[in-house]
Amino acid sequence: MTKKILEICIGTPCYLMGASELIEYYNNLESRIKDKIELRTSHCLEDKCEKGPVIKFDDKLYFDVTPERLSKIIRKKTQ
Amino acid sequence: MDIVFEEFYQSVPKYSQEVCGDNVEIIKKNDKTIIVLSDGLGSGIKANILSTLTSKIASGLLEKELPLKEILSTILAALPVCEVRGIAYATLAFMVIDHNKDAKLVEIDTPAAFLYRNGKIEKLNYKEYVLEGKNIRESSFHFHKNDKLFLVSDGVIHAGLGGLLSFGLGWDGTAEQITRVINYNDFDLKEIIEKLVKIFMAFYEDKPGDDFTIIGMRYREKRKLTLWSGPPLKKQDDSRIVKKLIKSDGKKVISGGTTAHIAARELDRELKTSLKYEDKSVPPISEMEGIDLLTEGLLTLNKVLDKLETYKPGQIIIKKEDGASKLLKLLLESDKITFLVGRAVNESHQSLNLPLELGIRSQIISLIATHLKKLKKEIYIEWY
Ligand code: FES
Repeated sequence: MTKKILEICIGTPCYLMGASELIEYYNNLESRIKDKIELRTSHCLEDKCEKGPVIKFDDKLYFDVTPERLSKIIRKKTQ
Repeated sequence: MDIVFEEFYQSVPKYSQEVCGDNVEIIKKNDKTIIVLSDGLGSGIKANILSTLTSKIASGLLEKELPLKEILSTILAALPVCEVRGIAYATLAFMVIDHNKDAKLVEIDTPAAFLYRNGKIEKLNYKEYVLEGKNIRESSFHFHKNDKLFLVSDGVIHAGLGGLLSFGLGWDGTAEQITRVINYNDFDLKEIIEKLVKIFMAFYEDKPGDDFTIIGMRYREKRKLTLWSGPPLKKQDDSRIVKKLIKSDGKKVISGGTTAHIAARELDRELKTSLKYEDKSVPPISEMEGIDLLTEGLLTLNKVLDKLETYKPGQIIIKKEDGASKLLKLLLESDKITFLVGRAVNESHQSLNLPLELGIRSQIISLIATHLKKLKKEIYIEWY
């Protein structure tokens, strides 16, 4: 199975808005799910900084992402 | 060849004490460096206050450039003396070295300095005399290019006392350890000091029976660093700055995500962002071929500024892997630093209501530069 790509923006705005919590969330994922995901970081995703933290998961952009939202997004897509 | 005087020290408190009773003050002036070591009687906070007081008085007087005799009499009169025992509460060693490499060292109640020259440790030639009832050892000497000099508090000489060694390491034993470590690693003074501290700790079986301090000094070649932060106002300057950075001598640093992207584009090199982050308050670093360090911009620079504000000259900073610690380390290790600062407003930051103290890039860099200048680094800033 090919892994789904999770891209977390770590540009200054996104970082300030809580991107580090998203990385931490990913790091703490149970391996059953983690194994299906490849984490990448980027510096700015499509200049949507005012809506940070911004992530891209499976080629779709999400804005204002919190760890809770990330959890929902990931779980829905890795079922 | 451009050389610079460098000094590092480490102080370790007596086992179970929070603070060290030894204190070091280092003052860097344009034409000289002043180094003061004081060891307060006893240990803990009281010893710490005594040694701090003593070393501050001494460094303050030395900074004023009075004749040595006058300085000494004033210090001796001002030194706090124990009423009961009639002895000074704190020992004192100080050295002034000028830009001609001429040094003057004075020692009062403290172990003699260790001079490493031509592969072995020597004792300096001293003139001894009594002043205000105190035995003073004074030495004037020329510091050779490859010399190293070490000052220690007596906690070093006593390492091992009552434990591993019945009489402690002693002066000769200490000299032997210093020689051994230098012969093993001659190029990094900071590491020499760290290694020696580990050895002294081992003699104490990791429970030092006294505060101890070691200061190391030497000359070394100047190191250069160029740091680029921020996109320039004029787009056509992109390639100019990139060229300037790549062609510069010494270490190359980029601070800023957008800036890193410009560099990657201009150089057609891959920008690898990393996933590791060591400290939550500092965004992760990235990597690019030919660049020694790539950090995020604003948050990292602010963190560096914070750390610089509390930095004491000669202090060895703890090794950490986050972007701000790495950048601080590189800045402190360099002597000639050029900042290439782009002033274009970063679109991505506009959207944020950044707290005022996080401020604007140019201000933060100016503040960082001011602190580095105080450490007698040569600083150049170019605005784009
Ligand atoms: S910094 Fe995250 S989208 Fe721009």
